[in-house]
Amino acid sequence: MRLFVDFVPVLIWALLAIALVIIMLLASWVLRPHVLQNSEKLSTYECGEEPIGPARITYPYNYLVYTVLFVVVDVMGAFLWLLAASSLRTSEAVVWQTLIFVVIIMVGIGFVMKMLPQAFLDGKETLQLYREAKAAQEKAVETHGR
Amino acid sequence: MGGNAMQTEIEFLIDLFEQVEFFLIAGLVLILAYLALEHKDIVYAVFFFGFMASMCAGFFLLLDAPFIAGMQIAVYTGGISALMIFGVLLLPRAQDSSLEVIQSPLARKIGLRLSVVVMGISAAMALIFPWPETVPEGAPELSQSLEGLAVWLWGTHGIYVQIIALILLTSLVGAIAILKMEKAESFESIIGEFGIEADPTLDDEVEPETVDDVELDAVDAPAEVAEE
Amino acid sequence: MIPLINFLVVAFMLIGLGAYGMIVKRNLIRILIGAEIMGNGVNIALVAFALYSDVFSYTAQGLVILVISVAAAHTAVALVLMLMFNKRYGTVDLGQPVDTEE
Repeated sequence: MRLFVDFVPVLIWALLAIALVIIMLLASWVLRPHVLQNSEKLSTYECGEEPIGPARITYPYNYLVYTVLFVVVDVMGAFLWLLAASSLRTSEAVVWQTLIFVVIIMVGIGFVMKMLPQAFLDGKETLQLYREAKAAQEKAVETHGR
Repeated sequence: MGGNAMQTEIEFLIDLFEQVEFFLIAGLVLILAYLALEHKDIVYAVFFFGFMASMCAGFFLLLDAPFIAGMQIAVYTGGISALMIFGVLLLPRAQDSSLEVIQSPLARKIGLRLSVVVMGISAAMALIFPWPETVPEGAPELSQSLEGLAVWLWGTHGIYVQIIALILLTSLVGAIAILKMEKAESFESIIGEFGIEADPTLDDEVEPETVDDVELDAVDAPAEVAEE
Repeated sequence: MIPLINFLVVAFMLIGLGAYGMIVKRNLIRILIGAEIMGNGVNIALVAFALYSDVFSYTAQGLVILVISVAAAHTAVALVLMLMFNKRYGTVDLGQPVDTEE
């Protein structure tokens, strides 16, 4: 139970960090000019053109794959942290087990790195999909306007 | 003696501090969990969930488990919460606030009663067996607890680590395989290494020759057989 | 010394909240959040029982490590499946009737 008393400095530091963020946000809210916003000011910026519809095309899946990779490596790192903070890191049998553990996960990461270009749309396919979407949208505008 | 009275007074203060801390963290965790489920905006809900995971690490510190607390923050707040935020950003329809609760109040009441039943069953199953009230004397010191846990996990029960490695491998392979098969279904002109092929009907402007040549060099016989 | 029942009450309330989130909510992401809240409640209960026992052993803490790792792996696969669901049906809402074409 003394563990929590040892971590009180961490608590104070966390409270100070939260207070710092709040003070910075409040200061910027106080100091900036308050003008009215209209819908044209709040709309998204697209290099001067009119935005064609919601800017939410869901093809960048590789960001999700990298995050999954990060989570897997994070769990592996937690296990290795436990091993490194103990006296077992120099025992021979445990070192072999660690090697097997790391190799199994590296096989998975190698597979992901190899197959990643085939799992999402690259430039040419994205261009083709965009052309098809734009053609379909123009056709819809035509039939709607008629 | 004066020193003895001072000692017990400090211990009393520390005990009171612990009680206050426990109720503070418990209240925060429950409020954040409720907000994570009930807030209209999904991005706020996921952020509240990440914050709640950090508060649960405080619980683990109260329970003398520093490694579990560190792993909770690293994996839950740093990994799973970021993963869910990415998922929410990639799913634009999830950010509509119109779809929240099952519309019929009867289903909502049944759901509430069912969750209370789940809670009651888990509480009953846990409280059937008698549990001691105090911490035993064999509880280890802080500097030894990581050592003891490492000996348990990597030493005597080392097979669990390899099982976790296989589970992580499965999740990686599964994620990539699902994305790849989905892409092969939705877009016709793909020649892949799993043998998922179709007629390459690309545009004339998109230079089909280079794409086909590169892919056909990698896969010789099945591509030519299926291309007729 | 904080009595064990305090920790258990919080753990069971988290389990109840997680079950409520998984049963009542329609949005897929909220169901996932409910599953994770339930996992957190179970972890708290396990570590509480690890500490307040007659003979101290690290079994429950090792089990909590395994539960956290498996939860991380299954959240990743669940999110990928949700992406496929969204691509197939166009929405993340479970309440709408899904049309079974093809």
